[in-house]
Amino acid sequence: MKRKGNAKMLRVYFGEDDKWKDKPLYRTIVDKCRELDLAGATVFRGIEGYGASTLIHRSHLLTFSPDAPIMVSVIDSDENIQKLLPFLDEVVSDGLIAMSEVEVIQYSHQDGLRS
Amino acid sequence: MQLLLCFCPNQPLPSNFCKAVRYARPSTGCELQVDGAAYNGKGGGAMSNTGPAKKVTVYLGQDQQYHGESVYAAILEFLFYRKVAGATVTRGIAGFGADHRMQTDRILALTENLPMKVEFIETPERVAELLPKLLEMAGAGLIEVQDTTVVKAVERSEQASSTPRKQAGTAKLMRIFVGENDKWNGKPLHKALMESMRANDIAGVTVYQGILGYGAKRRIHQDSALHLSHDRPMMLSVVDTEERLRAFLPVLDDMMHQGLVVFSDVDVIKYSHNDQDGERRQAVRP
Repeated sequence: MKRKGNAKMLRVYFGEDDKWKDKPLYRTIVDKCRELDLAGATVFRGIEGYGASTLIHRSHLLTFSPDAPIMVSVIDSDENIQKLLPFLDEVVSDGLIAMSEVEVIQYSHQDGLRS
Repeated sequence: MQLLLCFCPNQPLPSNFCKAVRYARPSTGCELQVDGAAYNGKGGGAMSNTGPAKKVTVYLGQDQQYHGESVYAAILEFLFYRKVAGATVTRGIAGFGADHRMQTDRILALTENLPMKVEFIETPERVAELLPKLLEMAGAGLIEVQDTTVVKAVERSEQASSTPRKQAGTAKLMRIFVGENDKWNGKPLHKALMESMRANDIAGVTVYQGILGYGAKRRIHQDSALHLSHDRPMMLSVVDTEERLRAFLPVLDDMMHQGLVVFSDVDVIKYSHNDQDGERRQAVRP
């Protein structure tokens, strides 16, 4: 099965050490995406980067505090993404949220199609 | 605006580039200028002429900090990436500053805050351009500017003149989301896709491994030592012209049974190395 269409891509950038109620922030966001029934979410860990504070974040073998950069990428329709934004405002205190227009092609098994 | 860069892993470029972008960023705006030539037409050749110039000296303490690193190192890095012709750091063996505390390197004194001096010589215009950021970085330190004359200019090696070729334009960025365990003809799908794109002359592909995620089947894919199934999310990021990517789509249809493909518009600023480099890489290929 193949489906085409336009959608929004939301990317949230923050640090791996960021927490929300003692749970990793990226885990909190992915759980919330599932709760809101968004199409999907993926978390990537960067190996090096810097942000608004201009501190270099680097995961290093010898340092035991790897505050690596984290990116959460969510792709769904505009209205579904909008549902997530108030929650992000609440939990992401120090980070960046970027949104872009994308064109989507989705492949899935016959029974795997979501309405 | 997002800036996406692809590097060859042979050189530790990302680390240096990270710093380059950090210091190349004008302190007032958020616009990035990636092209080094934007600062200096000849890429650091500012001091290739003799004549009047300015000498800047910054006096610091060795343990002064700027965003988590030593100030002298931060200033040296800043000057390096802003293509200043040259800079020198010297450490004093004793001295005192505004706080009137004597600092020496005698072991018994055990003081670590020795005086440091960063010096560089540049044209008056460049100095005026660099000073605001230096003032911010130096913090409590002292900055001195004096008029000087360059009698003999630095001699540059020819190597520095081979600037990379630049190609700009709009293109498409294709992101493909698959699972690590997805297979195509018994081969990992992400690997097969990459090989297929290389065979189809697509400009470049990078494979990223996610650490957590879920997709259409609502199952969480996570990388954890305790989980035996390492079905991590994988993303392939491909940048090429729209026609080339569209031409590749039938192949993609054939190989992918589940997964997501996303297109977005990007502006490309392409840096390709000179031909010698390309030939060498060709020779390495099996």
